[in-house]
Order: sequence, then C-alpha cells, then structure tokens
Amino acid sequence: MADVSVTNFSFKYNQANTNTLEDENLTFQTNHFSLLSGPSGSGKTTLLKFIAGLYPKFVEGNATGSIQFDGKDITSIPASDRNQLVAMMFQNPDQQFAMNTVKAEMTFVLENIQTDPAKMDDIIDNALKFVGISDLKNREINTLSGGQKQRLALASIIAMDSEVIVLDEPFASIDYDTRVDLIARLKQLQTEHGKTIILSDHDLSNYKEVIDDFFYLDPATRHIAKLNNTQKNAFFQRFEQTKIKETVVAEPSASDPKIINFADFNLKPHGDSLLQLNGFNFYRGKTTLVTGENGIGKSTLFDAMTRLTKYQGTISYAKKNIAKIKPLKYAQNVSLLFQDAESQFLNITVKEELDLSLKNRFTTNYSEDNINQMLGELHLDNRMDQVVYSLSEGQKKKLQILEMLIMNPPVLLLDEPLKGLDYDSLRTIVGYLKDAKIRFNQTQIIISHQFSGIIDLIDYHVDFAAHNLTYQEVLK
Amino acid sequence: MNPGLKLFLVVILALEVSFTQSLIVNLVLIGVSLLYLLLHRMSPKQFLGLIFWPLFPALGLFVSQWLYGDAGIHFAFVLFTRIYAYVFLGATFTITTNITDLSLTLEQDFKLPSKFAYGVLAAFNLMPKIISEVKTIKTAALMRGEVLHFWTPTLYFKAILASIQWSQNLAEAMTSHGFVENQERTHYQVIRITAMDWLLFGGGLIIVNLMFVFIHY
Repeated sequence: MADVSVTNFSFKYNQANTNTLEDENLTFQTNHFSLLSGPSGSGKTTLLKFIAGLYPKFVEGNATGSIQFDGKDITSIPASDRNQLVAMMFQNPDQQFAMNTVKAEMTFVLENIQTDPAKMDDIIDNALKFVGISDLKNREINTLSGGQKQRLALASIIAMDSEVIVLDEPFASIDYDTRVDLIARLKQLQTEHGKTIILSDHDLSNYKEVIDDFFYLDPATRHIAKLNNTQKNAFFQRFEQTKIKETVVAEPSASDPKIINFADFNLKPHGDSLLQLNGFNFYRGKTTLVTGENGIGKSTLFDAMTRLTKYQGTISYAKKNIAKIKPLKYAQNVSLLFQDAESQFLNITVKEELDLSLKNRFTTNYSEDNINQMLGELHLDNRMDQVVYSLSEGQKKKLQILEMLIMNPPVLLLDEPLKGLDYDSLRTIVGYLKDAKIRFNQTQIIISHQFSGIIDLIDYHVDFAAHNLTYQEVLK
Repeated sequence: MNPGLKLFLVVILALEVSFTQSLIVNLVLIGVSLLYLLLHRMSPKQFLGLIFWPLFPALGLFVSQWLYGDAGIHFAFVLFTRIYAYVFLGATFTITTNITDLSLTLEQDFKLPSKFAYGVLAAFNLMPKIISEVKTIKTAALMRGEVLHFWTPTLYFKAILASIQWSQNLAEAMTSHGFVENQERTHYQVIRITAMDWLLFGGGLIIVNLMFVFIHY
C-alpha cells in the first residue's frame, strides 16, 4: 500500500523560460482512483513520468522538491523494487513495445521482473483475458489497432502487478467502446485488486461515477489542486454543457461544385474495415468539419486522401483519379496540415521555414506586407532566427499553419489544427482561414475534437460513425 | 542449428571465400546452401530473387575481369561465383532465422548485454514504422514544393530526428515494462547451444577448410 505524496515539487525544462510545474503539493491516496485533468500541454505528462520514476533519468531539466511513496523518495528506490511499486502506461499506442508479438512482449515484461518461467503462461493468459484480448495472443503487434495496442499495454502492466498504476492520456487515440471498457477494467483493478490508479485525461467523459479524487492542473498558475465535491461537480457539469451545445449548419445543396469524390471506397489498414463510401463528395470552396469518436479512423482517412496509406476503390480530385496524378502535382493541390507540427518542417530556423514556403508557393496571393503583418499578429516576428524544434507547441502550430497558408493549396486538409493553441491565437488563425476561403476559394476539410471558437468558419458538418460519412445539419 | 553459431559460421565462411580462389569450393558452398534453403522451404519468389538481384554485379565483375583483367577466365568465374556464394551463404542465415531467436541466444549463450540484445530487437521491430515515416517525410516535403530523393540530406535529417524521438520513447517504455539494465532476468524460452550445434559448426568449418587446402581449381 502506498500513498503517493508530492511535496514542494517544481520542474523546469532546460530550454524553457518558466517552470512547467510550480511548487506542487498533493497526495494521491492509496487504493483511490485519481483523475488528473487540465488542458493538453499543461504538464500532466511531466508529473506522471516523475511519479513513475522515468524522470529525471529521461529528461533534461531541473527538479526540486520530492515525490514519495509512503515516505520513501522515488529516486532513492532501486529500479528493481520500483517495478513492484509503480508502472506506467503511455498515450501513444505505437511506442510502448519492444517485441514483435503480443506473447513475446508479455514474456519480456515477466522476464524483466524475474518471474518463474513455469508461472508465465498462466499470468499471461489471465492478463490477456482480463483486458479481453485472449484471441490476439500470437498476433504481431504491428497488425493491431490502436485500441488493441492500449489493451495490450494495460495487460503488460497487470502482469507486472505493481501497486500503483499511472496512465497518461491512455485513451487519446482509441475508440469510445474501448475507452468505456478499459475505464471499467481500471475500476475493477482498484476495487478487486487493491490497486492505486492515477490517470490523466483532458476529456472528462465516463469518469464521473468512477473516480474518488479529481485533481486539476490550472494552466494559468501551473498549480495542481484537489477539488472538493462542489468544484468537482461544477467541472463535470461544465464539461457536459459544452458537449450538448448544438449549432445548426447547412447541408450541401445540389448546385455545390464537387471537388473530391469517393467511389467504391474501402479503407481497411488493419484488416478490419474502417470506412466504406460510395458516391460521397467534398465541396469546393467550403469548410467541412469532420467529427467522430477517437480512433474511428479520421486521420487514416486523411492518410488515404494524401496517398500515405493504401485503400480500395477510387478517390477523385476534380474528376481525376488521384492515383493517376503525379505525386508532386497532387501534393501541391491537396495538402495536409499534419497533426504533429514538426512533420511539416523541413528546415532549421523560423526564417528558413518561411523562406522555403515563399520560394515554392504556387501563387503569390499573399504579399510581403500581408505575411509580415501575420507574423506580428501571431507573435512570431521576433523569433525569426529561433530553431523551429525549440518553439513551444503553440508556436510550432502557428508557424505550421502560416507556412501552409502561404503555400495556398486549392484544398487544405487540417488534422486537429487547434491543438495547443490559446484562444486568441485560435481566433486569429480562424480569421486567416476564412480569408483564404473567401479570397482564394480554398477548400478546407478539418478534423477537430473541439469546435468552440471555430463555428463561424464551418460551412458543412460531416459525422464519421458506423464506417460511414454523413452530412448533418446539427453540430454537437 | 543455433542462430548465433549459424551467424558466426556464415561470417567466417564468407570471409574465407573472399581470400581464396577456388571455383569448385564456391560452387559446393552455393550448392550446399541451396540444398539447405530448399529443405527449409524457401519460397519460389525468394529463390528467384536470390538468382536475379546478384546477377548484375556478378556479371559486371565477370565481364570486366574476363575482358580487361590479366588473371584469366578462371578468375572471372571465381569472382562470378563468389558473389553468389556470399548471397546464398547469407540467405541460409537471413531466410531461415528468426531475429528474436538470434537475440535470445546472443543474450543467453553469448553473454551480450541484454541492453543491446533487446535494443537491437526493438529497433528491428520499428522497421515498418521507419518505412512509413520516410513516406510521410517525402509527402510532407512535396506539399512544401520540395522533392526529396534518397540522396537528399533533409530526408536523413528528418528521419534521424524522428528516430531519436522514438529511441527515447522506447527506452522509457522498456523501463516502464520493468527492464533494468544489467539486472538478472529469467528466461521463458531457454536457448542452449547443443552438442549437435557444435558438431555442425565445427564439422562445417573443418570440411570447408580441408576443401580450401586440397581443391585449388
């Protein structure tokens, strides 16, 4: 049994100007289910990795204060004993495994903690059964879906049998059903197996009845507070309200010019079909918002539209099969704003990045004055010589959007373009996107979880559900 | 045969082939390797690949030695078969051996630190991800109007950047899954080097060396 107490804990990353965590004092009680919430990028991951003992080993920065498990400082506990105390599960399903198959990964875990080989088969079978993937035991991990990978990650942690289970945004890229199921499993681990659960999530769905404690990391003060019942309920209520706010948008009319068409289209990257379309269209000069549950395949759809992943059937752009358009020409017509801003960068400094866009852009619609003004409005003008990889997540996102605006492709796909942006920047960006649509008739297709603040940009709404895309009048 | 010993045998034989000039021994090595591969049910596609791809360098060497060299047609044939000896010897290892088994034996029998054994294995399992990342980098560049070829430094810069990120994540994931450097581990699948393994290794080495001593054509 172990209370996890954080005392006067502060942390500053080496490149950062300010502390990411500022004098935190809190206790995660033993055998409780604690939820840590706060906007993405606010420092939740940092704290959890310190609790799991991964930091300070794997990070460059300066930490003060202490994190103790029942009075013992985590940094003073030998690594082999730490495994019995705490294990961590990560956000990204793709980077949690060292081995090639499900069974090999499970054995790897058990070998590490020096389990008797004779007992391994039973432990593995039980853990896989608990998370509901017994039938995947001999599968290659590369062939699993995101949800299945997260189930395997949880099974590994169950096999380790650590007292404290730390989970960092574990459901960020998996489907709703898996989320509901895994939250129930975690609750079961707490109540039936005496585990302590510490979980971070910025999405509050499905937690209200499950958690014992609610901690909130306020991005303004960088301070984590444990909320009392009233505050807790207020948070859940506000979250529910933002979810049910409905807005009415138009449905496409027959006269709208079509730009992208799907015929006999089938998308099945892992063997199971994610999306089947026949005769579906996106429309020219409109902004279409695509929504749908996590892990349903929205990003994979963009991958297909940019020819990054294989699909069956035909996608046409301006009535031409995209498989028959030359790669460079197609990329210049249908461009993707990647979810991860760094994927878009090719150069080192902000200035070099902008110069590249200026050199290769297909139209000169944005004048130098335009661009300088935008740089100023986004507060990037005094960072021209900074290395792009050292910018904050928000700054990276702003630079990324700006350079794709300068490229000004006829169709711009945007995958979670608002992630990590503060409200003011968000409004500025929305203004630029509207401008590009009105002045240059740009077609924009946006995937976004949140849409407060961008409603006025949206013309049409497409719901991605049950392996299908449908236009809807209601946006909620 | 034990994957570790098999690897050493193949490497030693390939080295010896490089420093000898026996056409017959080359042909014997190719023949024995082929037999071994057929016994291990090599697919027809793999077989054709093994014949086809080395043909260009092998023919190139053959022709340049035959027409412009001064060691004669025999040496040209030696060079030609040498390429195929390398390829088929290598294939006896790569086609029939599982990378997981290799790292298990290197860790358990050859006392390679587990950090390397599993690090290499993890990196190997990242291969599909690296391939898709390179594709993403190229596509992202196209969208910025740049065509990246396999010789463009930017491609490598971006790929290395991504790899550094992954290796960091992987190290954290392994640690979180209980892996501790230099700590004892138990083994679910124990791989031992058997007497038969040693016999095959020693026997193979001796026979080939005797051939090198006695067969000079």
